[in-house]
Amino acid sequence: MSDDMGVIVRTMARATIPLIGIFGAYVVSHGHLTPGGGFQGGATIAGAGILFLLAFGLSEMKRRYDKHLYSALEGIGGLVFLGAAMLGIGTAFFYNTLWHDGPVFNGEPGTLLSAGYLPIMNLAVGLKVFTGLVSAMAAIALYRRWKS
Amino acid sequence: MKRTIAFLSLLFVLGALLYIANPDYGLKFGPGGDDWKNLRYTDDYYITHGVKEVGGTNIVTDIVFDYRGYDTLGEATVLFTAIAGATALLRPWRRDEE
Repeated sequence: MSDDMGVIVRTMARATIPLIGIFGAYVVSHGHLTPGGGFQGGATIAGAGILFLLAFGLSEMKRRYDKHLYSALEGIGGLVFLGAAMLGIGTAFFYNTLWHDGPVFNGEPGTLLSAGYLPIMNLAVGLKVFTGLVSAMAAIALYRRWKS
Repeated sequence: MKRTIAFLSLLFVLGALLYIANPDYGLKFGPGGDDWKNLRYTDDYYITHGVKEVGGTNIVTDIVFDYRGYDTLGEATVLFTAIAGATALLRPWRRDEE
């Protein structure tokens, strides 16, 4: 028995998953300028992953989903967040030293390369939320306790 | 009959909530005018100093990642712990294989 949702849903998912991913990446990368941020954009990209899991079924997800890669990416996201917070440890934990006197990310407010560690933290949190939510959905789908 | 009573009571609750939430004669959540700046001065501080001190034009991101960074750190830890717990609890256990 195939566990995908049929050719119509699969075609629509193939068309919309890249658009959802692009929109989520936009929300993450412009998190310090426009409404949204790491959590929201990461959850949007995770929605694309969950749509893939629903439309293409568990067997296709098992082939594309690498457990070790996703755990490593989630750990890297958390560590980058902590590292960006540690950058200003000379003054205080969570001191935005890149914005006040840093070499990069100190442009005019409102431009993409501004706001110190906020873009780095947004990317890290977005990566962490995306991999975490996709891992949670994959775990729920893989380790189901009911009989089919 | 039961359905009619339920609908009417729902309508009554909605009307009561609309009456309570009216700012003219209902409940007041804090003072009006500019008096709120004396009581909730942190809001005013974030709005006026956020762009200069943190640099992001999105004040919510400024608050979440800079002024309240510890809260975000705890939130990320909660997410990590929740997913670790879900994976640990949902995986096949030894007695399930029988």
